[in-house]
Amino acid sequence: MSCLISAVRHLRTARTPLNLLGMTTTHTYADGLAIEVRDLRKSYGEVEAVRGVSFEVARGEVFCLLGPNGAGKTSIVEILEGYRKRTHGEARVLGMDPAHGQRELRERVGIVLQQCGVQNDLTVTELIEMYGRYHEHRRPVDELIELVELREKRDTRARKLSGGLLRRLDLALALVGDPDLVFLDEPTTGFDPGARRQAWSTIRSLCDLGKTVFLTTHYMDEAQHLANRVAVMNAGQIIAIGRPEELGGRDLRPAEIRFTLPSNWSLGDLPDIPCEQRSLDGDRVLVLTKEAVAAAQRITTWALDNDVDLGHFSVTQPTLEDIYLELTRPVEPAQTAEEVLR
Amino acid sequence: MSAIATPSLKRDSSLKRDLGLIGWQIRYEQRAYWRNRGRGIFTFVFPLMFLVIFASLDKGAHISSLGGIPYDDFFVPGILAYGLIATTFVNMAISTAILRDQGVLKRMQGTPLPPWAYVAARIGSTLVIVLMMTVITLALGIGAYGVHLRGSTLPGLLATLVLGTAAFTTLGIGVTRLIPNAEAAPVVVNLLILPLTFISSIWFPPTGMPNALIDIAKIFPIRALADGLQHAFNPHTTGAGFNAQDLQTLAIWTAIGIFLMLRFLRQPQGEVR
Repeated sequence: MSCLISAVRHLRTARTPLNLLGMTTTHTYADGLAIEVRDLRKSYGEVEAVRGVSFEVARGEVFCLLGPNGAGKTSIVEILEGYRKRTHGEARVLGMDPAHGQRELRERVGIVLQQCGVQNDLTVTELIEMYGRYHEHRRPVDELIELVELREKRDTRARKLSGGLLRRLDLALALVGDPDLVFLDEPTTGFDPGARRQAWSTIRSLCDLGKTVFLTTHYMDEAQHLANRVAVMNAGQIIAIGRPEELGGRDLRPAEIRFTLPSNWSLGDLPDIPCEQRSLDGDRVLVLTKEAVAAAQRITTWALDNDVDLGHFSVTQPTLEDIYLELTRPVEPAQTAEEVLR
Repeated sequence: MSAIATPSLKRDSSLKRDLGLIGWQIRYEQRAYWRNRGRGIFTFVFPLMFLVIFASLDKGAHISSLGGIPYDDFFVPGILAYGLIATTFVNMAISTAILRDQGVLKRMQGTPLPPWAYVAARIGSTLVIVLMMTVITLALGIGAYGVHLRGSTLPGLLATLVLGTAAFTTLGIGVTRLIPNAEAAPVVVNLLILPLTFISSIWFPPTGMPNALIDIAKIFPIRALADGLQHAFNPHTTGAGFNAQDLQTLAIWTAIGIFLMLRFLRQPQGEVR
């Protein structure tokens, strides 16, 4: 008992709860791909919601599908989870065809669905225990309750939980079978900032244990923070795929150096800087450069040498959000699959 | 170690495991059922309340059209039929619609629990409730209203109860397809049940009822269930209490119920709605 208490205390101060809880992969598998999708298509009547999508997810990777509502994210996730049948193409999840719905696959996959209820009259503990029984390998109930921080609510019925707490319960239920692959469909929608950080660290630690995470989100910072690779979807197709820092040539784009210049100085007084473009708007200077380090050094050295008081000095790369908005800019008002389904 | 086990042995052990899972699932379903007071009242207390009210109103009355049998010998089996329908059909249809709308069925589909095992557990839990309902109704009927449970007609009584439970449980699951959303469930279910109870000899004997209405009632399983039970409780009944026509009707509706239930269960939870 005291051992448990000290473990819990330790947990609160530590940042990697999963490792401390001894969560390990109990069943191993051959190296390879967790998910393989080739020319996947899904039609609902006349409308093609997914139009020929191909990608691979390596084992142990956090892969993120990013895209506006109606881009086809949920169609793809639910095909991989076995809830929907594809119209065309190939799909392999842990080496199995999800359309066959084998029990073995469901043993090894954890799912957090969007807006999916639980048996409302049962308590948190009862639900984790109940869903755990379905699995051959399962994590202890107490461990999962600690993991998603539902200690105070363990005897509360699901009916009485707020939206954010229900999402945490969702995560616990997805992890109860110690899965190799976890699907998270918009897992932090409705979380407060603190809870989101907590969920992120939980998801990160899943990855540290060699679990594969397939994530969909429309939060840029979430993709940036968690994903090893991001695929941006729009109108049923993947329009860009890569590491978040490289997506859409983000790493190749010029960085932006901004600062304010005292009024007795002008743009022409600045030294020679390696840059694409520099401009002055009022007292604000914007320098676009592909050699951010050299340019920043040149500017700051000049400022110190000449005793110029530069204000609000900053160097930024284009954010993932900038790239995303650029990529997903609507070309034509396409009718989304969700609209047709309604 | 599992590599050594032969496939057939593996299947045996997984069946044993699934049966164990059904047992556990029935316990969870029961716990959830009794915690939800609203549901308990709607499906369990309601019929018993009707029993007490009607039986008290007509205390000591006899039904001349049925050979002067005591009113309670007619009404207690009628309420037993109504209670059975409430705990199986009404309860199953409403709760399944709620589980479907809340996405619980979808969630269950994503777990390793085989769908048949989940359905078996839901039916098993319903059987527990039906059994309690039957025992309480009979105990009340025998203890408070002087109804006699006769040994000779017991086989007919049990056969009618078993077939009736099978028909109304499977129909309850199958009818969920007709329920557009959970809020509409009580309305749809009562629309299907209530009008039929009035022409199916649940509340009062069919004395003076137009033949056309009786013929309509005979198509449906409510009258067959009520009539079969009333037959077994009728003091004038001779033999083992079997009413061939009622049992046949219930058997046909069980077949329809199983068909509709399977159709509902085959429809994928992800794609609909």
